[in-house]
Amino acid sequence: MKVAGYIGWGIIAIVAAYFLGGIALERGEPVNSMWLVLAAGCTFLIGYRFYGKFIAAKVMALNDERATPAERLRNGHDFEPTNKWILFGHHFAAIAGPGPLVGPTLAAQFGYLPGTLWIILGAVLGGAVQDFVILFCSMRRDGKSLGQMAREEIGKVGGITALLTVLLIMIILLAVVALVVVNALKGSPWGTFTIAATMPIAVFMGLYLRYWRPGKVLEVSAIGFALVVASIFAGQWVAHSSTVASWFTMGGIALAAAIIIYGFLASALPVWLLLAPRDYLSTFVKLGVVLMLGAGILFVRPELELPAFTRFVDGDGPIFAGKIFPFCFITIACGAISGFHSLISSGTTPKMIAKESHAWPVGYGSMLLEGFVAIMAMIAACVLQPGVFFAVNSPAGIVGATPEAATATITAWGFPVTAAEMEVLARDVGERTLFHRTGGAPSLALGMAHIFATGAGGKAILGFWYHFAIMFEALFILTIIDAGTRVGRFMLQDLLGHVYKPLGRTSWMPGVIGTSAVVVLAWGYFLVQGVRDPFGGINSLWPLFGISNQLLAAVALCVATTVLLKMHRARYMWITCVPLAWLVVVTFTAGWQKIFSPLPRVGFLAEAAQLQAALDAGAVAAAKVTETNTLIFNARLDAVVCGIFLVLVSLILIDSVRLWVGILRGTREARITESPFVVSRLRPEEI
Amino acid sequence: MKRLRTFARMVVGLLRELSDESAYERYLAAHGREHSREEWRRFSEKRLRMKYSKPKCC
Repeated sequence: MKVAGYIGWGIIAIVAAYFLGGIALERGEPVNSMWLVLAAGCTFLIGYRFYGKFIAAKVMALNDERATPAERLRNGHDFEPTNKWILFGHHFAAIAGPGPLVGPTLAAQFGYLPGTLWIILGAVLGGAVQDFVILFCSMRRDGKSLGQMAREEIGKVGGITALLTVLLIMIILLAVVALVVVNALKGSPWGTFTIAATMPIAVFMGLYLRYWRPGKVLEVSAIGFALVVASIFAGQWVAHSSTVASWFTMGGIALAAAIIIYGFLASALPVWLLLAPRDYLSTFVKLGVVLMLGAGILFVRPELELPAFTRFVDGDGPIFAGKIFPFCFITIACGAISGFHSLISSGTTPKMIAKESHAWPVGYGSMLLEGFVAIMAMIAACVLQPGVFFAVNSPAGIVGATPEAATATITAWGFPVTAAEMEVLARDVGERTLFHRTGGAPSLALGMAHIFATGAGGKAILGFWYHFAIMFEALFILTIIDAGTRVGRFMLQDLLGHVYKPLGRTSWMPGVIGTSAVVVLAWGYFLVQGVRDPFGGINSLWPLFGISNQLLAAVALCVATTVLLKMHRARYMWITCVPLAWLVVVTFTAGWQKIFSPLPRVGFLAEAAQLQAALDAGAVAAAKVTETNTLIFNARLDAVVCGIFLVLVSLILIDSVRLWVGILRGTREARITESPFVVSRLRPEEI
Repeated sequence: MKRLRTFARMVVGLLRELSDESAYERYLAAHGREHSREEWRRFSEKRLRMKYSKPKCC
């Protein structure tokens, strides 16, 4: 049996090496998507079985004899021992957001290879390690949050830094995901109607659960899903109606205003009315669509149309500017390594783990599955013709505002596409135009629609699948916006409660309204900035989000390394220090370039200086002076925000390194703060 | 067939966990109470307050 196991794993390792080598070295011939699927799938299996197990057995020494907080503090509510596969699905549903879908789509501007390799290696050696170790640390500390662990393990500076970093990241995150929705829906009555319809549907679900059938969440989610699908069909009718279509045809600023108002209402309204029912629905749709996409790719096995590398590796990409290093690695955060996951790994999940060994599939395994979702998104983006991909994703400020100008520019780059082709494609998916939809969602939806339509229904229902994919992306992005605004409000109320006590009370309406407004205005400002940006907004906001997210991962890895040291596992420090060192190099290089690069499309200060010079030279039309002044202010503000991120993480990094050196030299006490060992009495039938 | 049934049970278990229906059952059992509109309201208010005090992942 053991020999059969060795042979089996040997074959998987050979397959992984063969397909990884194939995608890395193959040039000039079309590559089938199965190469990516098998390269990622087999590498993830090897990583899970050997690297994950090594960390579980040698580094953490997981012990099933030790009672977990779910057993010791069992209260039938949040602390509850849960079956490991159910918890695996629960944890995966919590970590999977738009990041692993949008990031790889944007990074496809470099070609399929850099992003794919980063997702595979990043997930195995970085993301899964971070999620797993933080889950373990929190599990051994009664489910404490990352902020609490940072404060207790590193010191006060660590705790405050973690809190501030999370608050700032949330503001940038909410702005950038809202921008993705705005760019997907502008000028699209079908899409806008479908998304608008999800709001009354969510309210109906909330009322149904509250008054008519309390507790029947699965039942009402099925009804809600049927209504959402019906709204996609109704959206087609809306798009074709000469009167109704105009109500739902909105520009960028109008859509941004609508989302800002929505965020405010969702944050201030009772949670059961809008937020919770929408969240239930979005979770089920998310899991269903991820499964559908996986099945679709396996069934259709499409060829990749984008090359392994594009000319934009030189840093002059139309979607965002900057070279492969460091920008590919911060553009794809969630599919490879995401600091946000550490908040989930130190949130609900550690309170539900029945046995310590379950942390291996739940923490390490879920992240590998998320990496697989990112690979699927990369495939969905790369099945598009390169010309179409760049026509959809390039902002007007780069390729030109008219279809003719845009297609001429993109064709001159070596990716042939015509205005007529784009018009036919737009008509096929029920849109007026697909140009200038920077943000990743529409091109991902086109790729997904292509795969789904090839699998079922053909070209006749391409429009349905496109809008189904847009609905799916927008649905859970809006869930992140409303939940994020609410959390931001809680954090702010918590902080302001120290200044004026009533502000800290979540039941005091003036406080609720005031703090909701502050949070909404903060991310709303960056959203409007992105909408007005002539380069599409993604060029400035997505890198900021990527940098901040990975800096949070650096904070998490600092905590993880500190805990390993205190557990006297200094010889295994490298498992967290290697990804930490990589993240520090990547994010600090990216941050530095975003602030100080002399290229105006890369460096915020250079952009501000260029605009200022144009103003001073009188080269700006009188009507554009105010707008240009705003752009200058925004570029400087982005530089300051980026600088704040770097300073915050430098603080925690310096604090951590001082502590590590002290522990290694024996001048600092390595006091462990784990909860006490209690023998587990949990019987297998209880889980 | 047995494996298929186990898998189906697992899927239903996951859906019930994600929808908080399992948590509600545990809550009723832990407090020795019967299902009613008021109980659901009490449970969901506490559950949702806890759930939405943490950021959602990106």
